[in-house]
Amino acid sequence: MSRALRRNGWVLGLVVLFLALLAFTKAIQPGFGASGLESLARAALPFAFATAAMAVVVIAGGIDLSVASMMAVASVTAAVLMQGHGAGAPTLPIVLAVLGLGVAMGALNGLLVVLTRVPDIVVTLAMMYVWEGAALLILNAPGGAADPALRAIVLGPVTLPFVPAAWTAWLPKAVVVLAVAVAVVWVPLKRSRLGLSIYAIGSDATAAFRSGVAIGPVKVAAYAVAGLFAAMGGLSVTMGTGIGEPIPGPYLLAAVAAVVLGGVALTGGQGGLLGPIVAVFILRLVRLDLTLMSVDPNVTAIVEGTIMAVVVMAGGLIALRGRRA
Amino acid sequence: MKRLFAGVALAALASVTAGAASAEGYKIGISNTVQGNGWREEMVCAMKAQALASGKVESLNIAHRNTDAAGQLEDIRNLIQAGVDAIVVNPANADGINAAIKEATDAGIVVVAVDQAVTEPSAYILSNDQTGYAYLGAKWLFEQMGGKGAVVYMRGAAGAGADNDRDVGFKKALAEFPDITVAQEVFTGWQQDQGKQQMLDILASGIPFQGVWTSGIDNVIVDAFLESKAPLVPIVGADNAGFVGQLSSVPGLVGAAVTNPGSVGGAGVELAIQILDGKKPESQTVLVTPDLWDNVSEEGKAKLAAAANPNLDPNWPVSVSIPGWTTYTMDQIIACKGPGE
Repeated sequence: MSRALRRNGWVLGLVVLFLALLAFTKAIQPGFGASGLESLARAALPFAFATAAMAVVVIAGGIDLSVASMMAVASVTAAVLMQGHGAGAPTLPIVLAVLGLGVAMGALNGLLVVLTRVPDIVVTLAMMYVWEGAALLILNAPGGAADPALRAIVLGPVTLPFVPAAWTAWLPKAVVVLAVAVAVVWVPLKRSRLGLSIYAIGSDATAAFRSGVAIGPVKVAAYAVAGLFAAMGGLSVTMGTGIGEPIPGPYLLAAVAAVVLGGVALTGGQGGLLGPIVAVFILRLVRLDLTLMSVDPNVTAIVEGTIMAVVVMAGGLIALRGRRA
Repeated sequence: MKRLFAGVALAALASVTAGAASAEGYKIGISNTVQGNGWREEMVCAMKAQALASGKVESLNIAHRNTDAAGQLEDIRNLIQAGVDAIVVNPANADGINAAIKEATDAGIVVVAVDQAVTEPSAYILSNDQTGYAYLGAKWLFEQMGGKGAVVYMRGAAGAGADNDRDVGFKKALAEFPDITVAQEVFTGWQQDQGKQQMLDILASGIPFQGVWTSGIDNVIVDAFLESKAPLVPIVGADNAGFVGQLSSVPGLVGAAVTNPGSVGGAGVELAIQILDGKKPESQTVLVTPDLWDNVSEEGKAKLAAAANPNLDPNWPVSVSIPGWTTYTMDQIIACKGPGE
């Protein structure tokens, strides 16, 4: 009970921090409103998927350094397949194929980790280069195209029939897409036997093994889910830019940062996806605020890092006091 | 953290009130996606110096970090939120940031893309001619090699727009010299250490070659030859201060520097100011043509000598200004201070 409270408390704290930052943003830029929220949500989208991918593997006691590279493979594959079709592209099959590719890439990562018994960090470091090269082989320069209908999915606020536009203007489509995509994968998974096993092997692999959990297959499954989220991230990059990007973006370390900030223990077995995703929004909002205040760009990185360290340390202190009390 | 925010908020408030007092100065946003590269740093300094020298810019909002096109979309949208009058952007690639540029121009913001082009028609483009840059240097190099032999082709970053344009120019020159072959093709990533290591490896491997074309990672290539005591071959690089110095000082080095002014950033700021003042250029695209300074002809030697400047960072291009566009002084760009700093 107290453990559940603590975990939810962390997410609640992050939400409060996010709301405080929103209020701060409104204070320094009175014009900040629905359009600001909308662009924030679209900026957060690829980071959020990368973070979800990383979080699943970290919960399972691993780490996946190839997340950003898998995103690049997914992004260029989608852009190459959609090129030359204009508005009449067979978009749905392409999206499904890319998601399948993501699962396959992730599963291969997991298989290599399990079969070679080389530490996760080493295998996925190697695979980071493999996927990076694969992306460049598919598309050696930014290019390709994206179906405008697919791009429109994350563009603008939600509109519902029979509901005045003013009521939904504050809810960006990108947030809904993110929530649906993550929930469809994560909610059933977390409640399933497999989800429990993912937490179990992350928490204590030996204990899990003695309780009858097949560690190898569970680990492969966790990496496959990460690959699926990475593919979603790559698709969101292509949806945002309208092209495929063969060079991985700054998603790897940003994902690790958001996972830590979001209350997932790097030692595994603890946390969820909601906290890390709220953390992504916090980090994007901090970036926006620093731009609004025209802070020296070299100082910006220092401020971002400092905030992260302070929040995580403060959270740790609060948790420690909570346990003593 | 609260105190930090309070302090920053106070500073922001102060700058807002100060801005209200100085009236009609422009607020210009800048977006750049490569940090820690000499060329890009000079570009940003040229932007700051030109904004200061123009006297018409009240403040700069600079988004300057290592990121991809998706990150640049975020930065441009943040600048729109900041309410800037114009955005000067060095695009991550030609197509990927069109959506945000369109949003900006729809909101009445002037957008100028510098260094590399974008395909969004509502943006103004002020760019170095990258195809011409590669063609000019490669043609000179192949002539120096007597029209035959093998060349080491050291490219920039795989997938970057400027690298692709330069590849077109290089291949065009290669097609004109059928007896020239490519001994090795590598991507330096425009990283000094990486390029140097690659050249050391090539020298150690003993592959025969008669010339080196580099995409702007040049002075460390000369260093690699000198350190491994290998016989020098003709080398083409950019107008980085270190390489320009070597062309005059290293005995036996035959080479040429092709100009690729980072000060194009300052020119972009000036173009944005002119458009805000109501003076629109005749064409949406303004190209800056490259120049070649070799250390063989008398004319080239004179240009090299004139350009050398010991006060500059060796990784900065020596062409720190663009006549007709930039109005700042040498001291202003070296100081690298924008309005209000």
